[in-house]
Amino acid sequence: MKSLKKLIFFWKARSVSGKMAIIVLVLLITTAIFAPVLTNLPHQRSSGPALEPPGRPHIMGTDQLGIDIWSMIAYGARVSLAVGLGTSLLAGFGGGMVGMLSGWKGGRTDKLIQRLIDIMLALPELPAMIVIAAFFGSSLSNIIIVLALFSWSRPARILRSATLSLKEQPYIKMAAHYGAGTGYIIRKHLIPELFPLLIINMIRLSSMAIVTEASLAFIGLGDPASRSWGLIIHHAVNFQGIFMTSFWKWWLLFPWLFLTLLVTSLALLGRDLESLADPRMLR
Amino acid sequence: MDRTIKASCLKVQYQTGNYAVEAVRGASFTLREGKSLGIVGESGSGKTSLALALMGLIDKPHNSSGELMLFGESYLGLSEVKQKHHRWSTIAMMFQNSMEVLNPVMTIGDQLTEKLKERKTISSGQAGREAERLLQLTGLEGWEAKAFPHQLSGGMRQRVLLAMAIAPKPRFLILDEPTSSLDGLAKQDMIRTILSLQKKMDFAMLVISHDVKLIGGLTQEVMVMYGGHIIEKGFTDAVMEKPMHPYTRGLFNASVELSPHKDLWGIPGEYNGNEVHKGCAFYNRCSQRISLCCEQTPELKSVSIEREIACHQKGLINVLRGEAITKHYQIGNRSIPALRKACMNLRHGETIAMVGPSGSGKSTFAKILAGFIQPDEGQVLFNEKKNDLQQLACCEGGVQLVLQDPFSALSHRMTVEEVISEPLKLNGIGNELSRCKRVKETLKALQLDDCEAFLKRYTSSLSGGQRQRVAIARALVMNPKVLIADEITSMLDVSTQANVLRLLKGLQNKNGFALLFITHDLNLARKVADQLLILDRGSVAEEGSAGRILQNSDESQCADMLKAGLADG
Repeated sequence: MKSLKKLIFFWKARSVSGKMAIIVLVLLITTAIFAPVLTNLPHQRSSGPALEPPGRPHIMGTDQLGIDIWSMIAYGARVSLAVGLGTSLLAGFGGGMVGMLSGWKGGRTDKLIQRLIDIMLALPELPAMIVIAAFFGSSLSNIIIVLALFSWSRPARILRSATLSLKEQPYIKMAAHYGAGTGYIIRKHLIPELFPLLIINMIRLSSMAIVTEASLAFIGLGDPASRSWGLIIHHAVNFQGIFMTSFWKWWLLFPWLFLTLLVTSLALLGRDLESLADPRMLR
Repeated sequence: MDRTIKASCLKVQYQTGNYAVEAVRGASFTLREGKSLGIVGESGSGKTSLALALMGLIDKPHNSSGELMLFGESYLGLSEVKQKHHRWSTIAMMFQNSMEVLNPVMTIGDQLTEKLKERKTISSGQAGREAERLLQLTGLEGWEAKAFPHQLSGGMRQRVLLAMAIAPKPRFLILDEPTSSLDGLAKQDMIRTILSLQKKMDFAMLVISHDVKLIGGLTQEVMVMYGGHIIEKGFTDAVMEKPMHPYTRGLFNASVELSPHKDLWGIPGEYNGNEVHKGCAFYNRCSQRISLCCEQTPELKSVSIEREIACHQKGLINVLRGEAITKHYQIGNRSIPALRKACMNLRHGETIAMVGPSGSGKSTFAKILAGFIQPDEGQVLFNEKKNDLQQLACCEGGVQLVLQDPFSALSHRMTVEEVISEPLKLNGIGNELSRCKRVKETLKALQLDDCEAFLKRYTSSLSGGQRQRVAIARALVMNPKVLIADEITSMLDVSTQANVLRLLKGLQNKNGFALLFITHDLNLARKVADQLLILDRGSVAEEGSAGRILQNSDESQCADMLKAGLADG
């Protein structure tokens, strides 16, 4: 009952764009989860003539192998969302933790972590990722790990600076005075205080991860077994002379549309949730 | 010739029905001729019994024992007849004022000279003039000799009693409550009269009173009595400046005369007179008692120069002592001194107000004493032992700090219960259930609601006064020996400030923790503090009894500051 009230309050506090973003996200997540229900056509093999324009039974047409594009998009949503969620959890939470630890501990730990972050920021992301993806092979989990490895530094930096200012708060100093350890301070005081900041960072990370995964797939470094949206675009663009024909109107447009929708709504939600960073907005 | 009066091991036991009441349990003192000694104590502490025993006026069936050497001669060892010879001529007593002391059917003059006539030192013809002379000596006009006691006012009767006591020119005079029925002006007059009489007649004086101010005015030395024991003895000024026995401190705190601006607090509890026990008489009211105090009666022992105390712990314990503490802050390339060799000593159950202009290092000193930050030099001793101060915050019976700002001192994301039980939980004290109980007890002690609904409230929903009390509760839940309060009332309105301070003082009086109260408000300091510590530019400018410094602000080194700060300065 109480949580329902909180949920309603949370909903009411969102702006129009935030609300729309939430609706779109919920729809996309439902699509990913209920993909087998939403489409009865296979997404990995041909189910009709090649390059058929949208119509019945292929509502979004087919690609050059005759595979239904809507099926591919519905199943591909799983890949995109998994990448987004996995990366944001791994990089956002892990990076956030590292940042808090660095800010709270200070001294040598802080210096060490700071230099590491500097190195990570200085590394050219995409080329390094291409090398790693090519080197370790491009399974989905590898992609998530590589993406996380390159994106934890940003949340770490942000949360470190937030921790530094929070550290001077008398109540946290008092807790430390009473003998609280680093673990307790982070768990009891820092995480609740910095959670909104963490969430926003994670949402931003996830949209970044989805785009990066799509780009990797686009340049042919995606997991060939998992038909992500990026891979559909990759195949479409690689089709000789696609722009000379009208095939791009469904083969390229639909996956691009879904990708844009997902990333845009994530960005809008992240923006809207920034108000959460001010804790008094919650109560 | 021996010019001293020596009393040794005086004991008085009253027989009432079947059981005996010990009124005086071994009192000894030495008094030089022309000097005076005061005895203070609550009523029922045995002051008057001691005086009566000195006079040899304790009759059967009551018992008294001990010896009084009057200028080298034994007095109490004498037979009743020989005692009578000395009584009123060598040793005289001014009784406590009451109607019963004077004979209602004799004129004052007759009563005054009765003894002299009996001894044949004067003839009946001289008696009238002698009576008038005596009355004039004590500040009366002389016509009173013809009056009957009921025709005189209380103040006049008191003077008559004094005249009566000095009539036979005694060498040792005992004054029992000489000013009890006098108003302020008459009291001052009486003190002056007594002092001038002493100068003229050079008698030794034993003054018995519960009026601490009077003792201060009349005597050079003072003895504090409790339950028939002498528990503290020393020079009057020194004892009043820094009482060392918990009882003496309590007694002086309850005295309006010593600190007219301070809140009054009596000593909690009642003297358990009839109970026969082996231990210290003050045991049941003492807040720093140890198990030894229950088993063994402490002897009067010398603890410092000319100061004797009957306490197993050598008087009030120094719970927190800072020695030559120096602290610098590094700002850029410069080193800004915040404290320069500052010292302080906080004793058990004492309130020290640390005052000073802003920037004088008050908060830094407080934080160092609490172990919140480390000093550059110097050390802090807890119970006279060097300890890790931060550890003291983590254990019960240690040092606790309450910060200035109640809004930032508590996490607004935590409930009242979480906040207060945090120190207990962090240090693994008790289990869930006992912690909750302690939280509730502490809340109740601070007059906050202890119902579930309040425990579950977030601190962000509380008012400033409530938050500050919750912050104090977090400190008190650890049962500290020392509470350091850094400007805890500066963010509160006056009414809340009054409530919080009274609560805190009340709890201090009950639980006996020492309070270091940091403030810039001198009026507030005057209200709560026993001792005052004035910091100026990082060093201690003045230290001592709050009453003395604030009442004589002109003599202080920080007179300007005191004048500007005090409402009536």
